[in-house]
Amino acid sequence: MSGMSGMAGLLARLRGNGEPAGIRLPHLAGLFALTMVLAATLGEAQLSVFILLGLAAMVTVGVSLLMGYAGQVSLGQAAFYAVGGYTAGLMSVHGLPPLLGLLAAPVVAALFATVIGIPLLRLRGHHLAFATLATQLILLSLAGELEFLGGSIGLQGIPRFGAGGLELENDRGYAFLTWGALAVVVLVARNVIESRQGRGLRALATSEIAAESAGVAVGRAKLAVFALSAAFAGLAGGIYAYYVGYIAPGSFPILLSIEYVVMAVVGGLGTIWGALAGATAIVLLIQLLNNVGTMEGMPSYAPSVLSYAVYSLLLIAAVLFMPGGLVPAVRARLSSRSAGAT
Amino acid sequence: MSNFLSYLINGLAVGCGFALIGSGLVAIHRVTRIVNFAQAMFAVVAGLSAASFLSAGLPHGVAEIAAVLVAVAAGVLVGLLAMGRRGTSPLSSLIITLGVGIFAYAVEVMIWGDQPRSFPGLRGSFTIAGATVQKQYLLVIAVTAVTFTALALFFNRTYAGKGLTACASNPYAARVVGIDPRRMGLLAFGLGGALGGIAGVLVTPLQPISFDSDVTLIVNGFAAAIFGGLVRPGAALAGGLVLGVAEAMVAGYGKASYQIEVALGLMLALMIWQAVRTPALQEETA
Repeated sequence: MSGMSGMAGLLARLRGNGEPAGIRLPHLAGLFALTMVLAATLGEAQLSVFILLGLAAMVTVGVSLLMGYAGQVSLGQAAFYAVGGYTAGLMSVHGLPPLLGLLAAPVVAALFATVIGIPLLRLRGHHLAFATLATQLILLSLAGELEFLGGSIGLQGIPRFGAGGLELENDRGYAFLTWGALAVVVLVARNVIESRQGRGLRALATSEIAAESAGVAVGRAKLAVFALSAAFAGLAGGIYAYYVGYIAPGSFPILLSIEYVVMAVVGGLGTIWGALAGATAIVLLIQLLNNVGTMEGMPSYAPSVLSYAVYSLLLIAAVLFMPGGLVPAVRARLSSRSAGAT
Repeated sequence: MSNFLSYLINGLAVGCGFALIGSGLVAIHRVTRIVNFAQAMFAVVAGLSAASFLSAGLPHGVAEIAAVLVAVAAGVLVGLLAMGRRGTSPLSSLIITLGVGIFAYAVEVMIWGDQPRSFPGLRGSFTIAGATVQKQYLLVIAVTAVTFTALALFFNRTYAGKGLTACASNPYAARVVGIDPRRMGLLAFGLGGALGGIAGVLVTPLQPISFDSDVTLIVNGFAAAIFGGLVRPGAALAGGLVLGVAEAMVAGYGKASYQIEVALGLMLALMIWQAVRTPALQEETA
């Protein structure tokens, strides 16, 4: 019961077996309309949380695909977020148009993932988990050393995002940009899942050998999902760099990578709705706890202690008691209720 | 030459810390097939506890032993959660131990705050061949040597140790002859806690420790354990020492900030080399 069989067990358990994993186009259109209305109407105070939520969801969709479909665990997804952020930041600081930087962010992240993925994806299970963690640590250490990346001080004064004559001056513009980008990400992920290659991936997560014998090009498929998830993270990182205007190695801690895993696992691996729901649930919960933690009379360490406790307890509870994740659990609940009514 | 010698001894001492954490990972993995991400948390908890016990007035020796016992208790607790319910797969368990490690952050920040802490170890230093060597480094090396000897005796000469080895080689057969794999699993986690705790109390006087020191420690410990394919404690010792010395040499002759690149690069290369040599089929059915 080690290695692959254990892994297949986990993935089968975490993936919410037999659930429709994709997202129907009308639902996607509805969701897109709703988020655009929210972007237009939310107050200034909520907009920043709304933007960060969109960015987290973008990365989590990739993590969920990677874990749920290609059967790979990444504890270093924030590395790709960082690559995207630094790419966009560096290009803009040197006077290139922001639109070019934003387009380059996912491309460079995906290229980087392809280059490191060729050797790393020979690893499996906990070896790959530690290898991705190590990659992020190396990258952060290098970013802290290299002069042209700003060293440990980071890149400052990244210009605001703009294209043509339009410049995004306030949070509302970034909310539209973020959620528009998320819609693209979800659409791409959906198309990958529904495609023939997507079914091949699904087989791959259960048993690599069986998938390979059935004619799935296992190595290439794994690499493709790895690069795709990196592209999603890179795009989010690029938007983040323009939104915040400042990035440093400290903006991309290991804990950030772990947060994405928590969001993906809590929401339900391998489902797009799960990634969206997991990211939403956790970002909102952390925001709530931050508000509680910074109330008067709370000790100064309260916000961080509360968020550590919540991340960890949710993660443990999800793996032990809700292996399918939030979305499949709710779906099973609903379908059993409607079956009981008829 | 004298520089070389002092780098070597520094490296060996730091490597001993990695080796202890790595052998804790091995002790747990070979019995339960779980890679315990919270392994370095034991070192952090023991190091911080020892600092507290010492400032509360406990004498040296007693404080350190008490701190290691705290780590053993933490180990058993992690084991209870990580082995979870029947049928929890090893990779689910890895994610659970990841969660436990983050939960420990909350507890540690609440008790000890988020600033690094340390405590004085063995004072004084002496000179061999022109190199100044702190006595604490030698203490670390000596205690590690004793620990690994005791570990070897435990695995080979005692009933519990042989039970652990039996579970490691074939859990089903072990159950047939009346060994309870779950109890053995908890014993392994307790042992892992002790090894991590010993690393913590030894290393904290060398480099201050804070709640989030565990990431560097666990990655280096895992790198050490990889040398023995996560199943041989002796190879983890060798791996830890190689890593420690390599890092000390890079820091001494090159640039201190490149230690992590060297250590992790070594680990990645080693893992990939091992993976290339092991055909996938063997791994999937093993």
